This record gives sequence, C-alpha cells and structure tokens, in this order.
Amino acid sequence: MPVSRRQFLKIAGISSLGAVIFKACGFDAEENLVESPVNLPEDLVLGTDNWYASSSSLCGNGCGIIVRVFEGRAKKIEGNPNHPLNRGKLCVRCQAGVQHLYHPDRIAGPLRRSGPRGSGQYQSVTWETAEADLVQRLQGAQASRVVLATDPLRGRLAMVTKQFVEALGIRHASFESMERSTNLRAAMRQLFGQEQLPEFDLENTNFLLGFGADMLETWLSTVRYSRGYGEFRQGDHRDRGTFVHVDSRFSMTAANADKWVPVKPGMEGILALSMAYVIIREELGDKDAANAMTEGRGFEALAAFAPNVVEDMTGVSENDTIYLARRFAHEQPSLAVGGSSAGAHTNGLFNLAAIYSLNVLVGNVGKEGGLHFNPAPLSPGAGGSLPQSSFRDWQNIAGDMGNVEVLMVRNADPVHGLPEDLGFQEALTNVPYVVSFSSFMDDTTAQADLILPESTYLETWGDDVPDPGPGYEMVTFQQPAVAPFQDTRSFGDTLIAIAGRMGGTAATALPWASFKEAVQEGARELFALGRGNLTVEGSFEAFWSGLLQRGVWYDQGSRPNISVEPHPLPTEINSPVFQNAPHEEGMNLIVYQTNSMLDGRLAHLPWLQATPDPLTTVVWDTWVDISRQDAERLELKSNDIVEIRSQYGAIEAPVYVNRGTPPGIVSVPASQGYSAYGRYAENRGTNVMSILAPLTDPNTGALAYNATRVKVTKTDRRRTLPKFEGVVEALPAPTVELIQIANGKGDAH
Amino acid sequence: MPITPKIVIPAVLGLVIGVILVMTAVFLTKAVFSEPFQVFGMGAAPDQPIDFPHDVHVEKVGIECMFCHRTVDTGASAGIPAVEQCLFCHKDLGREQYILPESEELEKLREHFESEEPIQWNRVHRLPDHVQFLHEAHINKGINCSECHGDVGSMEVVGQVRDLKMGDCVDCHRENNAPTDCLTCHY
Repeated sequence: MPVSRRQFLKIAGISSLGAVIFKACGFDAEENLVESPVNLPEDLVLGTDNWYASSSSLCGNGCGIIVRVFEGRAKKIEGNPNHPLNRGKLCVRCQAGVQHLYHPDRIAGPLRRSGPRGSGQYQSVTWETAEADLVQRLQGAQASRVVLATDPLRGRLAMVTKQFVEALGIRHASFESMERSTNLRAAMRQLFGQEQLPEFDLENTNFLLGFGADMLETWLSTVRYSRGYGEFRQGDHRDRGTFVHVDSRFSMTAANADKWVPVKPGMEGILALSMAYVIIREELGDKDAANAMTEGRGFEALAAFAPNVVEDMTGVSENDTIYLARRFAHEQPSLAVGGSSAGAHTNGLFNLAAIYSLNVLVGNVGKEGGLHFNPAPLSPGAGGSLPQSSFRDWQNIAGDMGNVEVLMVRNADPVHGLPEDLGFQEALTNVPYVVSFSSFMDDTTAQADLILPESTYLETWGDDVPDPGPGYEMVTFQQPAVAPFQDTRSFGDTLIAIAGRMGGTAATALPWASFKEAVQEGARELFALGRGNLTVEGSFEAFWSGLLQRGVWYDQGSRPNISVEPHPLPTEINSPVFQNAPHEEGMNLIVYQTNSMLDGRLAHLPWLQATPDPLTTVVWDTWVDISRQDAERLELKSNDIVEIRSQYGAIEAPVYVNRGTPPGIVSVPASQGYSAYGRYAENRGTNVMSILAPLTDPNTGALAYNATRVKVTKTDRRRTLPKFEGVVEALPAPTVELIQIANGKGDAH
Repeated sequence: MPITPKIVIPAVLGLVIGVILVMTAVFLTKAVFSEPFQVFGMGAAPDQPIDFPHDVHVEKVGIECMFCHRTVDTGASAGIPAVEQCLFCHKDLGREQYILPESEELEKLREHFESEEPIQWNRVHRLPDHVQFLHEAHINKGINCSECHGDVGSMEVVGQVRDLKMGDCVDCHRENNAPTDCLTCHY
C-alpha cells in the first residue's frame, strides 16, 4: 500500500509525540531504587545533611570552611563563621573545591610508568608495590642526590616533612611559580625584624594606599582583605574610607579604588620615597621617626627622590605625588600596603621596604587602622619551619639536575611554572627517577616514573597556621569530610609509611602511626595551654571533639606587643633592570595571577575556567591586554592573534584592547598553557611563564617576573575570545557632570 | 477488493485516533495513580534482590520497627538499614552459632558485605511528586507505623496497602485535626 510522504510524516510525528508524552509520565527505574549502605556510621542519616568544619588548602590562604556532606558525598563548601580570617565568607576558588574532589581526571590510584617517559602510559599498582619501589630507589641513591620539592608547607605537615628530609639527609625545596612572599618577607625582616607576614587593619583605616598588591583578587589573604575592605567602604559605624591604588596594570583592585595611579613598572618604591620626601619636608608625619629614618639629615637625605626630579621616571606628576603624600599623612589612620607587581622586579625588596616605611613615617604601625604584627607560630611544630626556596635556589637545582638521582614532587609544577630558559624541563628528562604525589596529571607529573596520588584536603587530616594570620595566635584544623573517593592517601601518611619502611633513623624520626596522630599531638599542645576560644577541663577527647566542631583554635589575647625601631631610608635610587626584547626596546610584559585560577594551579577546575575575569569577562582562554594607543600603532583589533617574543621564546594569544592598560605595557595572565592537567586545562591558552627572563632581585633571589620586555607582532590570524562582554547590549551610561568639591583646606589640587 | 486510498485513509486515521485515545487513557490513569503503573498485577509487592521476610522478623522474632528503621523518629526518611546492621544478628555466619546457615539469601547478604556493594532495594512506597513527607512528625505525634504501612508482621513481602494519595493524606489530616494548609506538604 502506497503511503504518501505527507501521511508518513503525520504518522511518524504523532507516534513520536505520543512516545514523548508516554515517557514523560513515567520515571526512571533507577528512581525507584532505595539503597542499603554497607556500613553504618553514626553520622550517616539518609536524607539528612552534615556540616563538617575544616580548613582549605586549595590556594594556601588557610581560610576556614564548612563542608555540607549528604549521604557521604561533599555537596557544598561555605565559609566557617567561626574562623577569624574569613568569618563565614569564601572566595570563588574555595567554592570550586568539590570539583577538585570529584574531578573526572583524578588519578585513581598508584601508577608506575610502563611506556617511554611522557607518553602517558602507566600501569596501576598497589600502594604496597609503589611504596616498596620508592623505598628501594631511596635506599639505592645517595641521600644528597635526592630532592623533595613541595609547595610552601605549614603546620604539622611542615614538621613531618622536615623530619623526613632531615632523617634521610635529602634536599628539600619549596616551589611557588610566582613568588608572592620572598621579597615581602625580606622587607618585613629588614624593616621590623619580623618573620611572619603582617596583618592589616583595613576595617579601621581612613586612607588606604595600595602599591601593586591586588588584595581583592589574589594577593595573600584575599577573603580577609575583601571582608575588611567592605567594612572600610561601607561599615556601619564609620565614614567611607578613601582608597588610592598605585599599579602599572589596571587590576580589579585598581578598578575598585577611588583613584588609580598608573606608575611605570618597577618604580613603586621610588614613588613611595618621593612621598616620604614630601611628608618629611612638610613635617606631616611622626617627626622622631622622620629624624631617625633620615639619620638626622631631614628631607635633604631624600633629595634624589624629590617629586620634580623623579616624575619622569615614575610617570606620576609632581602635583599628584604631593597630593598623595599630603592625604596619606593627613587622613589618619592611613595604611600603605605593597606586594604583587611592586615586588616582582629586580628592585622588589627596595620597592616593598620603601612602601612599608611610609607606615612607620606616619606612625601607624601597631595603631588602630594601621599595620599589625603576627605572633610567631605557637611551637616550631605548629608553624612552618622549612626554609622557603627562592627562584635562585631553583636556578641552582636546575643547573645541578645532572646530579639528581631521585626527584620527588608534591603539589608543585615546576615544569609549568619555571621559565624555559632555566632548562629544567630538559634536565628533568635526564633524572633517573621522578616521583609525583599529585592527584592530577599536571605537566610535571606527566614526566613521573611513579605516582603516589595524594588525597585532597576534603579527605584528609591536617592543620595550618595561616601566614599572614589575624594578628593573634591561631591554628586551623582540617578533618576528612568524606572518605577517600579514589585509592589515594594523604601526603603525611605516605611519608610516615615510607619512613617506616626505610627503618632506622627515619622510622624513629617519624614515630606516628598516621598523620592524624601527628595532628592530634599538635592539638594536645593547645589543650595544655588552657586558653583561647576553647578550653576544656579534664579530657583531651572532649577538647578534640570541640576543636573539630569549631575547625579553629585562636586566642585573641595573644596579640604581640612589638615596638619598631625606625629603619633608615635608602638615599639612592635603585632602578629596576629589564631584559629587553630582541633587537629593540620592547614593551613591558606584566604577568599576573587571575582571580579564579591563580597562577594556573586551579586551571583544572571547570567552574573556575568558566568564571569570567572581572575586567575583561574572558573565560577559558589566555588573552593579551594592550592599550588603545599601542593597538592603533600595531594596527591591532581585539581578537587578533599576536606573537609576544622575549629573548627566551615566544607565545601567541588573542588581543584584548583594554582601555585601562597604560601605553607601553602588555599584560598576560599566567593561568593556562598546560600540556596535561586534565581535560579542562590541557592544551588551552598559552603559558606566559615559559618566556620570562630569569632575572631576580639580587638581594633575595626572588624571580622578577615583571622584568621582561617583549616584542609584540601581529599575525594574520584571529580567534574570537570567549567572553561575556558584548553578549548583552550594555545600558547607556548616564552622562554625569564631574564637579570638584573643595575640601576646605585648600591644599587639594 | 483493491486497496484504495478510500480504504487506507480512514483506516490509518482510525488507527492514529485509536492510538491517541489509548495514550490519553494511559496518561490519565497514570496521573490518577501516579505511582509505578503495572498493567499486570497492579499494586503487587515488587520483587526484591534479597527475599527478606518482614513477617519472620516482626512477628516471629518480635523486632521493633525502629530497631532497623532507626531514623523514623528523627528524620524525614525512616531509614533503610545498612548491611552492617543486618549483621548485628547475622554476623556469625560461618560459625556454629550463626542464624540459618543454609540460607542462600543470607549468603547474598554476606556477599554484599564482603564486596562492599550496597543493596539496591526496590522502593515499595512512593509518594506523588511535589509532596514532602516527614516520618518524624507523624511518629512523634503518636501515629502507629501500621496506620499507613498495614500489618507488616503478616506480610512476607511488603506491599503498599494504602492509597497514599493527596485525598488519603487530607482525609487523615482532617480526622486528626492536623493542618490541611497547602504548605503543610507542598513546600
């Protein structure tokens, strides 16, 4: 029987519609299942959620978290309201922690390489075998030819690692691809004799002067600063504070400021000393301090920094410098903070020391609304006592890789984070045995011979003494919110197990049965102190359970009382050194961490990849910020791909013409460009760290990651950057007439 | 008789209309019952992966409901006992004093425990969508389990005995002076 096309379509249409309706009225057979779990933990009640207080080690700020666990699965991470640093607030990075836990590309168990190195061919082995392999290698190698590289460690994990390193006599190095603290720590040591990073009383300050420190995005304890910043701007019992930000890049922090002062790269310290010159000359600050800081010579000592002398160098006009200096001195309490790009030059220590000296000059150290010190960690065990390595140490390691027999890497990715000029990547291929403890196949782990994957912070015990802390003694505790999702172990437990297998001094140096015992040992010390937010008479068990409920121990009565001897200011200009692009005066390359993925260590989390950059709204890619003037000169439009070439290599990325970028500067985020690291990060964007010049601050050895100059060339290709901007038509901005309000003192310009 | 469009078109149309009518009927029936719709043996107790006899445990041994359904007075769900909990009594499998050594069903239980594989039971009582039910509130009010679940002690395999539809809920709420506000159950 002939069925016409029309009839056939009718019948097909109606039957599929019927099928849809029929299907929609039913439900999946799976929905009709109800499960008997195998085990019966006390706190597992079907249909009821549990919240566990813990601490986050995802970005190293040590914020307190509470984790919502539903039937054994972590569902949501929120801020711990009890925690002195973040007080219930949390940043976008911590929120994505559940993806770190349930990532589809997590390494499921110990792996041994079965193909050529870097081929990604691994066979899965038991923990027993993997540990035996490593122990055999360690016993066969000369101890001084074994290197353990970790992220900067704190808390009991630092203590366990230190004892492991010392008992075995092996070398240790800490790795941070964009060093945030080396120069800052050196400045604190030089000015104040302090080993700990300071606390800033943002809540009570009136005039905040930032130098490079992108405190609302990535710099140090960002959630604590954002919380303080909210109070500073909109607190209930105070007037709105004024915020001026000095930076060569228009960051989100700069965008939040009342005034952004685009300084030339590396000139932050000279500008700060120029302000000091004005404050001393006009006798605005603490006169005794000024006297001591100039060794009795007065402002003449700083003649080299007179605003009219340095205005061409800093790019900040004489008037602006005088205006800033006067406001900073008048609007007490005021606070100067510096970091990030200000410290990322060959004169980084000079810059930071000059910036923090301003606080001494106006007498706000230890005052309300000023800069406060953090006490030393409670005991050497509770605080990090492993020395922090600088870029210079890594240069030495890279140069000495021929003598390394076993390289062990934990939570660090030097293959991605070190400039290619160091030759670390090539040198690694000649190291006979590379071990990684990573739970993810990052660029360094992809070269490993043996992988002993580490459980995430949501599955393990731990503690932390955040640095910077809240200005008083504090220890945060981390407890497993869920059972290990994969066949992984905590790094501490692995070290203890390996030491046990090694026997001898190693086994006696790490006497604990598990890392949890080491953490509990620290808690016993706090219990014995009998002070702080939690005091329990009698049993430690009660104290321990109270501690786990709170997630944090702190004692607000333990603020250190430190008096500061003013430190003499430098009298000579210390200019930054730049590495020029091939054959020409290039443009300044400013490298920065992104708000969501930092230096790339969180690039494996899709929520963070999809979080738009606050200023450009770009997602899932690397982009190049360039000024309108430079774009015009190079005939560039947004989305044109450019080549950025330094003396050490070249990368390519699409351009974003940014009205906030000063001429002569290109800025590129260092958060992408992995060749591995899971399905969401691999082969995405480019790695700007690879082309950096290996310049350091000669005083500290810290990498001057903003000291590279590059040549920017247009290619004939384009790639549209994925971004939100322009997707929806913006509402027309109302035209507002700007009026200058006189401040009555007649000294504003 | 030749097959002409005169015959084919009404036949196809009739078929289509028939199919639509059947579907509408099924749709309405499912909407009314809104529960697993079993054409054959509607309302029968579903098969379970392990033949657990409720009657033996309740009637013969005399175990209280709450011994196994332990969150019935504290949570929304009454709770399905963990495998481990079965082994509170059946743990001595393989020794002399174990209960029912020859039982194949208990062998299955032990396999689940040893392989750490949860048991996937088939749900017997399923409420309509968009309604919330708290066991805790009803039990603490003094309503007996058997009010809704029937005499489980007499059932070898548990099946549903009450309608558990909105009409049923509202009737009972009225009889007991319980709130009948929409937001009592729909929130």
